[in-house]
Parts: sequence; C-alpha cells; structure tokens
Amino acid sequence: MKRVFLFLFFAFLSTSVLNAQHWAPVDKSPLDQIYFPADYPSLKIKGTKEPLRMRIIYSRPNKNNRPIFGSEIVPYGKVWRLGANEATELNLFTDAKIGGKKVPAGRYTLYALVSEKSWTFIVNKETDTWGAFKYDPSKDVCRVTADVKALDKSIESLTIDLEKSAGGVNLVAGWDTVSATLPILF
Amino acid sequence: MCTLYKCVVAICFASLFVTGCKEKEKEKAVNEPVMHDTATRDTAAHEPHTIIEDNNLYADVDISPMDMSYFPAKYPQMKIADPDIAPPVMRVIYSRPHLQGRKLFEEILKYGQTWRLGANEATELNIFQPVTIGDKKIPVGRYTLYAIPKAGYWTIAINNSLDQWGLKQDAARDVVRVQVPVTYYNPVMEYFTMVFEKTDTGANLIMAWDDAVAKLPVKI
Repeated sequence: MKRVFLFLFFAFLSTSVLNAQHWAPVDKSPLDQIYFPADYPSLKIKGTKEPLRMRIIYSRPNKNNRPIFGSEIVPYGKVWRLGANEATELNLFTDAKIGGKKVPAGRYTLYALVSEKSWTFIVNKETDTWGAFKYDPSKDVCRVTADVKALDKSIESLTIDLEKSAGGVNLVAGWDTVSATLPILF
Repeated sequence: MCTLYKCVVAICFASLFVTGCKEKEKEKAVNEPVMHDTATRDTAAHEPHTIIEDNNLYADVDISPMDMSYFPAKYPQMKIADPDIAPPVMRVIYSRPHLQGRKLFEEILKYGQTWRLGANEATELNIFQPVTIGDKKIPVGRYTLYAIPKAGYWTIAINNSLDQWGLKQDAARDVVRVQVPVTYYNPVMEYFTMVFEKTDTGANLIMAWDDAVAKLPVKI
C-alpha cells in the first residue's frame, strides 16, 4: 500500500513538472496588414470589382501606460519606423500621387519624422529592413508634412487606417492621443 | 506506521492541488494568448516587460496574430548589420492560429481538406529571386500558399490568386503542387509556425504546428 501511495506521489509530481511547458511566444507588437479598399481580401472572395489600390504591413506596438511621443519611444526630431520590428511597408498596387509626386506601383517603406506640432511622412525605396536604424535619406521617394491632430481618447495600439477620400485615400496614423494624415491620390 | 500513511496521503492531495492550480494557470495562458516579450523581435528602445491585454478598447489584438519570416532568416536584422547584403530570396506573411487545448487533427484540421496554412487572409509567399519548387521555376512575384494535409504527407499548393481571405481557393490558378512528407512526435508548437531553414540546395519552408512538421524544399 505504501508503495502505491509513493508511486501516486511521484506520478503527481511528474505531471506538475510536465505542465510547466513553455509555448512559443507571440510577438508583443503583432504584425498586421491593412488594405485599401478596406477588407479587400473578404470583399474579393465575395466578388468585388473594385480595384485593389494599396496595403500597409506594419507591427503594432502598444502604449502600455508609457508616454509615447517626445519620449524615448518616439523621440521628437528622429525618424521613426511608424511601427515596430521591421520597417513599415507600403505596397502600391497602382501608381499613386503622394505630396504632388508620382509614385509608381511597387514596394516602399514608410517612416515618420515626428515633432510636437507636425509629422513628416517619408516614403523610401529601401525595403526589407529593420526599423529606422539604417534609414537612408538618399533613398527617399517623397516627404509630406502634416499637422498633428489631438484625439479625445487615447489609442492603445498604434493604428494605421486607410480612409476613402475625394481623390484617393487618407492614410491616418494614430497612437496615444494624436493622429496625422497622409493624403494619397490615385 | 499509520501516521506515515496519513502523511503520504496528505502529500498526494497537496500535489493534486498544485497540479490543479497549474492547469488553471495554463487555461489562463490560453485565454490570454498574447504575452511576454521575445528575444528576437524588439519594439522600441528600452521597452519594459509588457503584457498586451485582451478587450483592448480601440483595437483588439487578433487571436491569430500576423507574422512574417524571411529567407535568409531574419533578413531585415541582417540588413541593418550589413548594408551591402544581397537582396532577400523570399518571405512568407501569415497569421498564426494556436491550439488552445485542441488537437490539431481532427479538432482543427481534417485530413484531405484544404487549409490556408495560417488564419484570416490567405498566406502569402513573396519570391524576390527566381526559385524552383517541385521542378517548377517560380518567377519573382507574389503568390499564395495553401495545404491539403493527409496523414502521411501534405500537398502544398503555390497559387497566384492574391489578396483574398483564406477560405476560398481556386485550384485552377495553382502554379505548382508538391507533396511533402509530414513527421509527428516533434516538440509541440502551440502557435502555427513557419520559418525558412538553409539547406544544401536552397531552403526548406518549415511548417510546424502541434507535433506535426512538414518541410517544403525550395531550390535557389
């Protein structure tokens, strides 16, 4: 009988050790993609005829009760990857006009130079890179400066929305209590 | 002697209790899947250890978060260390569903049924330099990937229908289909995981979930 109890004891012990399993963690700033037209992949399987225009692929850091803009997370006056991890990617599936400049269909990276009153959006040719650590202004395609808008409510995860505008799309980037808009024309 | 029995019984119950608690912790971890930092991906400089909450007021984190893997592996990080690095060969963009206590077969996937090799949008394969998959030359471009898993092998299809939700595949637009063996009893992956590993002839796209691992050879 004593042996049975001891066996049970060790059996329980080993189960609790096995339960201490470590699962592959998910990134704390998960990747996301946003299309224009919005939800294009769902629309496509329903047979939409609208042309696919663009997509943003970016990682979404969280505020996590931290000060964001003007802090060490997004310092003023320094080029920021407008995301996390890999540099934020802009896919243009048709030619576009950004800041008065014709931008041919293709893959680009997107950065922002943030200050208290305005953001300068930067479209750059160097793709597949990490963050803005090796950002090279000589590869810029265009720069567009936009006013900062104060928000009523704080946004927890960095969010990029593509909103329909008169001649194309407004790319609205919002995080914490501010947003800024980059107009893109098609 | 009697006291000894009582003591052992007490220890057994205590152990049972501890096990029960751990089960609860595990459940909690499953219900709150987005957690911990990782060694390989950073956010911004000096970010403290964080937990992303569910029921985020503005934008929930997807239960199957998106991710991407390059070949060469970690290409973007390598690029900032070496600006003269050769261009990348390929990458996959996919969403990562997780087991949440379910068995992969037959609770999530069914043998013989098409699977998007991910979640949400169709999994995307970007080819930046021409490669060969299953004796078929694949030109530079964007493709989608899906699988038809069977017990002994998975059929992997490269398709050129793009930017669509992953529930509808058009086999008529397949570029190539390849059968690859699948192995079991590998270390259990809670999240579906795709990474490239270097081989003598190019790279394997490793597809791992639960204890199953399939590898798609890509000749470069």
